[in-house]
Amino acid sequence: MPIPLYGFLEGDTLGLLVLAEEAQTILELARKLQDAANIRVARNDDVELLYNGKTIDPGLTVAQAGLQALDRFDVIWRHSI
Amino acid sequence: MLNRDEWLSLARKLDWDYTYVREDEVFPQVISGHPWLPHAEWKDWEESFKTSYREYVDNQYEKDMAVYAVRDAVGRLENIQKLAAPWLNSLKVHAAALPLAEFTGVIGSLRGARFGRDSAWRTMSTFGALDEYRHTQIPLLLFHQLVRLDSQFDWAHKFYHTNNWFAIAARHFFDELTLGQNAIEFAIGTNFVLETGFTNLQFVGLASLARESSDHIFERMITSIQTDEARHAQIGHPVLEVLMKHDPEYVQYLLDKWFWRSWRTFSILTGVSIDYLTALDQRPYSFKEFMEEWIIDQYLRTLNEFGLKKPWYWNIFENELDIYHHMIYASAYTYRATLWFDFVIPSPAERKWLRQKYPKYWDHMDAVWEQVIERWRTTGPGAANEFAVHGTAMPTFCDLCQLPLSGGTPRKNTANVLARDERKYIFCSEPCRWIFLREPERYANHKDLVKRVLSGEAPAELPNLLTEYFRLTPETWGKDVYHGAYDWLEAKKASVA
Repeated sequence: MPIPLYGFLEGDTLGLLVLAEEAQTILELARKLQDAANIRVARNDDVELLYNGKTIDPGLTVAQAGLQALDRFDVIWRHSI
Repeated sequence: MLNRDEWLSLARKLDWDYTYVREDEVFPQVISGHPWLPHAEWKDWEESFKTSYREYVDNQYEKDMAVYAVRDAVGRLENIQKLAAPWLNSLKVHAAALPLAEFTGVIGSLRGARFGRDSAWRTMSTFGALDEYRHTQIPLLLFHQLVRLDSQFDWAHKFYHTNNWFAIAARHFFDELTLGQNAIEFAIGTNFVLETGFTNLQFVGLASLARESSDHIFERMITSIQTDEARHAQIGHPVLEVLMKHDPEYVQYLLDKWFWRSWRTFSILTGVSIDYLTALDQRPYSFKEFMEEWIIDQYLRTLNEFGLKKPWYWNIFENELDIYHHMIYASAYTYRATLWFDFVIPSPAERKWLRQKYPKYWDHMDAVWEQVIERWRTTGPGAANEFAVHGTAMPTFCDLCQLPLSGGTPRKNTANVLARDERKYIFCSEPCRWIFLREPERYANHKDLVKRVLSGEAPAELPNLLTEYFRLTPETWGKDVYHGAYDWLEAKKASVA
């Protein structure tokens, strides 16, 4: 069952709805948001995913990271941290 | 026969004491508004500009004739066709969002005409309702003839009868402000905040741009409307004076709430028209400059006059002056097929101008436009490539204002999630969250577009969402005015090659 999440990519002008899978990794989730926003924001490979203000290990799955439906996550450029 | 000054005062102030019913039954608080006060507290209510019905009708007739004379002289289709394409799209924004919203103003004004607490207030509200009819009918009449030129103008009638995302947001705003409002909050929210402040943006600001754009019929129409707004807006001041004696904290809340809600709606309606859809050499000022001169100075002076404070979110608001409508416009450009008007990419000269006018955050916005331009450069221009330069992921919306989550800056979006009663809500900004939490029972059950899609109420696939839910068609959905074929974009492509 996909988990609907509010994704905010640094550099973008609005938030996007991202449907995540529980088994998907955090890195894959970050890439998914980047792809969705690519019309407005150029791809940057050096990014991190923030959830509840903390950087999440990119190797964790969405379920392991504890992301739940309609939560917010951010994908930010690493130098912004 | 009595002359005017001998009878007007008596006709305006025709109140009486009730013997068969109680005053609070004639004017129930639920519809007259809070605080409920006996009429003795309202008896000194005075409007500053007094008029009789006969004077009103004579004056309105002359104003109508003046508008129609301009229409007959320069309002023919061939005159309209000479206007710049981006400006015509500014007209489509206004045509859809305002005339039927003015009709909801009829309902709100009639509530004042029945439940206003003094007869002079009720008389002024009756004139206000007649004004709002006029503000509905004249634009509908003038824009209707343009449907032959461009079917997107049909959205003047259609917009509020759709579930287009911007229509959902506009209805959420106007339904609360006008249709479902008690007489006191209508007087504060509409007459005081909206009509003494934000309609200046739309009517004075756009009249000036219309003149610069040689659009004389639109200029005359909205100037004529603004003269009405300036009169019935006066209802707000004497209502505010009475309220300040009894519940100043409530007054502060109403002003802060409606200033923010009005800002959200009109920063888009007017900001986009001024800074993007008017030709560069026809912009006498930026949206921010106009806000500072026409809204902020005047509003702060008025607050000071009544002993009120700036809204608590003033710093947030001032920051948004530099960025909010830019974020909305860039977002909307990349979802232009979800709207009923066409868009343009700001040219290099326009981006230079925008950088001068909005130095604080323009670097962030410029990077977004570079990326959009790069996409057109890759795909090449042409109508067939419109969807290759278009977003595909579902945008997200605020649970209060129903507008895209475009608060803050591209570097730091201010959206915030609230968990309440086993549901999650998201807000674009702290003020939207604050408004929601002051009256959650009013707002909690309204579903934003994302939640309608997730619940299956609205289609998830973009083509179905556009046609079935937003009621757009391939002919009417928004496009790039030039389908990406900009002289400067071609030139850059050639130089790259």
